[in-house]
Amino acid sequence: MAGLSPGVKRKGLARGRSWPYHISLTVTAFVIAFPLLYAALISTQTNAEIFSFKLTPGSSLMDHFEIVWVTRDLAGAMWNSTVQSILVTVGKTVLALLAGLAFVYFKFRGKWIVFFLVLITLMMPTEVMILAMFRLVSGFGWQDTMAAIVVPFLASATGAFLFRQHFANLPAELLEASQIDGASPLQFLTKVLIPLSWNVIAALFVIQFVYTWNMFLWPSLIIRDESRQVVQAALQNLTNVGGSLTYGPLMLAAILASIPPAIVFVLMQKPFMSGFAIGQQK
Amino acid sequence: MKGLLRYLVLLAVVVLVAAACSSDDSDSGTTTTAASTETTAAPSGDVTTIDFWVGFTDYRLDWSKETAAAFNAAHPEYNVQVTGFKAYNDVWDATVLAVDSGQPPALIHFFEAATRQALDAVTPDGDPYFKSVTDAVAGRTEILGEPVILDSVISAARNYYTVNGSFYSMPWNTSSTVMFSNMDMLKAAGITEPPATWAEVTAACDAIAALADGPSSCITWPNHSWFVEQSLGQQGELLANADNGRTGRATEVYLESPGMLAYLEWWKSLSDAGHYLYTGVQRDWDGTTAAFYAGDVAMLIYSSSDTTAINETGTESGFEVATTFMPRNGDVDYVGNLIGGATIWMLGGLDQVTEDGTLAFLNFFSNPENAAAWHQLTGYEAITTEAIDLLVSEGFYDENPANKVASDQLAAAKNTPASLGALLGNFVGIRDVITIAIEDILVNDLDVATRMALAQEEAQKSLDEYESLFGG
Amino acid sequence: MLILGLVIAAVLGPLYVWQNNDNPTVKRYGIGSAVAVLGAAATPLAMGRCAFEEGSSGVDHLLAYSLMAGGAWLGLIVLQFLFDRVDGKAAEGAAMAGEIRTGGFRMGWWVPWVLLSPTLIILIVFLYLPAIQTFTLSTKLTRLGAPKSVDVCFGNFTELLITDPWKLVAYPLLAVAAIYGARFWLHHSSPNTWSRKGADVASVFAMLSIFVALYAMFSPGGGGQVAYRPVYLNTVIITLGIVAFGMIGGLAVAYLAFRKIRGATVYRTFLIWPYAISPAVAGVLFFMIFDPTAGIFTHLMDSWFGIDVPNYRENAVLAQASIILASGWKILGYNILFYLAGLQTVSLDQIEAAVLDGASTWQRFTKIVLPALSPITFFLLVTNLVYAFFEVYATIDFMTKGAPAGKTSVAIYEIIRIGVKNGDLGRGAAQSVLLFVAVIAITLWQFRSTGERVTYGGA
Repeated sequence: MAGLSPGVKRKGLARGRSWPYHISLTVTAFVIAFPLLYAALISTQTNAEIFSFKLTPGSSLMDHFEIVWVTRDLAGAMWNSTVQSILVTVGKTVLALLAGLAFVYFKFRGKWIVFFLVLITLMMPTEVMILAMFRLVSGFGWQDTMAAIVVPFLASATGAFLFRQHFANLPAELLEASQIDGASPLQFLTKVLIPLSWNVIAALFVIQFVYTWNMFLWPSLIIRDESRQVVQAALQNLTNVGGSLTYGPLMLAAILASIPPAIVFVLMQKPFMSGFAIGQQK
Repeated sequence: MKGLLRYLVLLAVVVLVAAACSSDDSDSGTTTTAASTETTAAPSGDVTTIDFWVGFTDYRLDWSKETAAAFNAAHPEYNVQVTGFKAYNDVWDATVLAVDSGQPPALIHFFEAATRQALDAVTPDGDPYFKSVTDAVAGRTEILGEPVILDSVISAARNYYTVNGSFYSMPWNTSSTVMFSNMDMLKAAGITEPPATWAEVTAACDAIAALADGPSSCITWPNHSWFVEQSLGQQGELLANADNGRTGRATEVYLESPGMLAYLEWWKSLSDAGHYLYTGVQRDWDGTTAAFYAGDVAMLIYSSSDTTAINETGTESGFEVATTFMPRNGDVDYVGNLIGGATIWMLGGLDQVTEDGTLAFLNFFSNPENAAAWHQLTGYEAITTEAIDLLVSEGFYDENPANKVASDQLAAAKNTPASLGALLGNFVGIRDVITIAIEDILVNDLDVATRMALAQEEAQKSLDEYESLFGG
Repeated sequence: MLILGLVIAAVLGPLYVWQNNDNPTVKRYGIGSAVAVLGAAATPLAMGRCAFEEGSSGVDHLLAYSLMAGGAWLGLIVLQFLFDRVDGKAAEGAAMAGEIRTGGFRMGWWVPWVLLSPTLIILIVFLYLPAIQTFTLSTKLTRLGAPKSVDVCFGNFTELLITDPWKLVAYPLLAVAAIYGARFWLHHSSPNTWSRKGADVASVFAMLSIFVALYAMFSPGGGGQVAYRPVYLNTVIITLGIVAFGMIGGLAVAYLAFRKIRGATVYRTFLIWPYAISPAVAGVLFFMIFDPTAGIFTHLMDSWFGIDVPNYRENAVLAQASIILASGWKILGYNILFYLAGLQTVSLDQIEAAVLDGASTWQRFTKIVLPALSPITFFLLVTNLVYAFFEVYATIDFMTKGAPAGKTSVAIYEIIRIGVKNGDLGRGAAQSVLLFVAVIAITLWQFRSTGERVTYGGA
C-alpha cells in the first residue's frame, strides 16, 4: 500500500547526474507551458502589438487589468467560482466517501446494479440534458442561486469509483479491529479510512475542483444575475465576437482564471505525490 | 495532514457564511449593479423593474447599460436592468426557458432572420410571446414624457420589421453590407476607384495579383448567409415564396435560383483564381477583418456596423480606407440591398405600468440624441430620420463620409419583396445549410449547381418540418 | 411483425432460463417465457407500436427488434438475479463489485442505503430524470418554443443510419464474426508459431473491422440530411487522437518528471498548469499560435525559416491535428498528474533487481513500470475517453467551427449545433442517445477486455 508508506525515501528509478534531467525538464516544461507563457505576453499588449508579433512585453497590462478586474468584475466571478468549487468539491468528497463505505463494507442486494448505475452516469452527455435540467431546477426556484450550480453536481461517479477501489485494497484486518472496538461505520470512516485515504482525497479534490472551476454551459444558462456569475461565463463574455475582439484582456483573464486551480495543485501535491494506485482485488 | 478534511469542511462552512454575507453586502451597496436592484426596489416598494436582455457582451453592452442608467435617472420609478448574452441565440434560449418558468424579461434583443421564429413562438398558455410595439403605443405621441419615435424610423428598417401591417419590434442595431478597400493597394495596381460590380472586382483582383509585392489574396468576406441574401436582394431574386414570406407564410425556399447560382459561381471563380481568401471558418467576422488589417487582402466586404472601427484601425495601420457600396452583379438591374441587425421585442402580458415604462424606455433608447450617439460609436444606421438630421446639422457626415455610405445604399433600394429580405421559418437552420454548402463548394471544389441542389433539398425539409410544427 | 417478435421472445425466454439455472423447473420456464415476452413488449408498447405501423421501413423494424431484444434480456437478467437469490446463490456480479473478503458491518439492511442515499437521490433527480426525458425527446420532431410536437418514432435515428436493413444487420454481424474468428484462432494456435503470429495480426484487423462496420452503418441518410458519416469518422479519429496523444505524452512527461530532484515542484506546476485551462480558452490559445494571420507559430516559421505554413482550417488533416493538439494539451496535465502519483508506487526493489540483471532502461520501463501503472492507465483511459467525447465542443467552436467542410465536426459538436444552436431538440436528443450508447458500449468493452488484463495490486 503506497498510501501506507509515504515516508519511504527514495532517489528515483534511475541514478546519475541530475543536470540532464534539469535541461530536459526545462525544455519540456517550456514547450508545454508555451501557450500560457505566450498568453501572458499577449496580456500586456494591444491588438496592434500582437499582430506585429512583438516579443517584448507591451505597456497595456494595467489597462487590461482595469478592464478585466474592475469593469468586467472578474474578481467577483472568481469569488463565486471559488465558493462553488469548494462547496462542490467538499460535498462530492463526503458523498463519495459514504458511497465507497457502503459499497465495500456492506453487503446488500443489488449492489452491483447500483454500482453500475452510479458509474454509468459518468458517460451521460449532460450537454443535451441541460434543457430538461433547467426546467427541473428552475421549478425548484433555484434560479440565480448558489444551490443551482452546486447541488446537481454533488454526486460523483469518479469519486465513488476511486474510493471503492481504494477501500477494497486496504487490509481486511482494519475492519475486524474496528468491529472489536465496537466502532460505528461513521467512526470507522473518520478514524480509520480517511487517514489512509489522503492521497485519493487529494486526487479527487484536484479533479473535481478543476471540473467545477471550468463549468460553463450550465451556469451561463441558470445564472442571470451578473454579480452571481461564474468565472468561465465571465471569460466567455470577453471572447465576444463582432469585430471588436481584443486579445489582451482575454488572455489576462485566462491567466488569472487559471491561478486558483494551480494553487490547488500546489497545495494538494504533497499528499497526492505520496503515491497513488488504483487497485482492485484479484 | 490529519486535520485536512476537517479543515476543508471548515473552509466550506466559512465560504458558505461568507457567500451569505456577500449577498447581504450588496444590500447596503450604493452602486447600480444588478445585485443591488432588488434591494433598492424593496424599501420604496414602487420601483418597477424592466429586464432587458441584450445579445452583446462588448462595448455595445456597456453603451446599453449607460443609456439604461440615464433612463433610470430620468425616471426613478423605473429600473431598467440590462443583461448581456454572448449571442442572439443565447438570448432566445434564455427567453424560451424564462417564459416556460413564468419569469420572462420585458424586452429582448433578437436578430432579423429570426423574426418569423419570434412571431411564431407561443407560451404554454398558447399566447404569442410578443406584443406589437405599434399596437402597444396605440397612437400616443408621448409616453411618460418620452416622445414616440416610431413614425420616424427609416423606411428600410420599418419595412423589414412590419409583418401583417404591424410594425412589431423596435429596430436598434441596423446595418447593411458595404465594401472597405485598402486604397494604397488599389492605387498601386493602378485602380483609382473601388470596383462597383462583380466584373470590376475580378478585374481589379487580376491587376492586384499581378503586383510584384501585392497582398497574398485580393478580397475576403465572411462566409455568412447574410451576404448571399444581400446579393439576392441586389439582383431582385426571392429566397422564398409568398413574396419572401411577406404576403403569407413562406412554404418554399429557393436555393437554386439563377441569382443564387450566379453569385456563388462568381464567388467560386474568385476563390479558384486565388483572389478570394477563405479564412476556413464559417461566419468568421474576426478573421476577415484581421486579414484586412494585416494587409493580406485589398478589399473587405463587411457589415457597415463596424464602419467606425475599420476606418480608424485602417488609418492607424497606415493605409487609406475607402468605403463603398457592396459590389453588385453588373449583368442585371440593381434592385436593392437589405438591412441586417436586430430589433428589440416587447414581451406580451406586461401590466400597464410596466408596459408604459417599457415603451417609454424603447423610445428613449433610440431618441435622436441616443440614436446619433449609437451611430457615431459603432457605424450602425442612425435609426430615425431625426437622428440623421441631427448628425447632418452637427456636420458629422461631412467629417465622416464613410458613415453615410450604408444609409445611402439603403436609400437607393427599390422597395420590393426581394430587397426587403425573407421572413422564413427555421431561418437559422436554413442559413446553416447555406453556409455549410458554400464551405463545401469552396474547400472541396464542388460544382455549385450540384451542391446547391442538395442544399435545396435539405433546406426545404427544414422548412417543411418547421411549418408542420408552427404553421396553420 | 410485432407478434413474431413476441413469439420469438417467448421461446428464447425458457432457453435463457435453461442456460443459467442448475435445476430449472417447469414453473421457471413458464415465468422466464412470460418475463421475456413482457420485457420485449414493454418498449414497442411504450412507443405506441409506431415502428410497425404502415409506412415504416425495414430499418424501423430492425431498431424495434433490437429494443425488444434488449427489453427481454433486461427482464431475464433481473429474473435470473431473483432466482439466484431464491437458490441462495450469491450473484456472480457481487464479486465483480469488489465484495469485501471478511464480510462487512452486520447491521440493518437499510444502513448502506442511507449511506448511498445522498448520491443516489442526486443522480436520479439530476441525471436520470433528464436522461429519460432525452430518450422521450429522441422520438419526436420538436423545436424549442414550438406549440406542438410530432411523433416520428425512430425517424431521428434511421436518418443517421443506412437505409438498407439487411446491410445494417450484416455489417455488425460480419465484424463480430471476424473478432470471434480471430479470437478462436488465437486461442487454438500454440505460441511462437507462424499461425500464432498470423493470429495476432488478424486479431488487430478484426478489431478494426468493427470500426469499418460501424463506418458503413452511418451514411448519408435520405431526405437531404447532412451526412452523419463524416461526423462518425471524425469522432473516431479525433477521439482516438486525443486519447493517444494525451496518454502517451502524459506518461512520457511524467516518467521524465517524477524523479525527486531540486525544483521538482516548480517543474511539475508548469507541466500540470494547462489542466487548469478551460476547453474554450485552450481553443483561443492555440488559435493565437496557429492562426494564419494572428498566429505566432505561423509568423515565426515564415520570418525565421521562410516556411509558409498553410491555413490549418483549410486542410482536413491539419485541422484535425490542431484540435487533437489543443485538446490533448489540456488533458496532458491531468494524465501527468496521475502518472506522477502512480510512479511513486512503483516497486523500487523490483527495479533494482532488474538493474542487477542487466535489464536496459527500455526493458525496465516495459516490464516493470508499465504493468505497475496499468490500473491507473485503465482509469485514465476511461476518463480521457469521456473527456475526448464530451468536452471538446468549446475548443472546436473557437478553433475551426467544424471546418474545413465539417471535417472537425465531432458527435458532441454536431449535437450542440443541431440540438441547442438550431433548436432541433428531437434530432439533438437522438444523436446524444446514440453517443451515450456508443460510449457505454466502449466502456463496457474496456472493462471486459482491458479490465481483465490489468495488473491489479497496491504495490
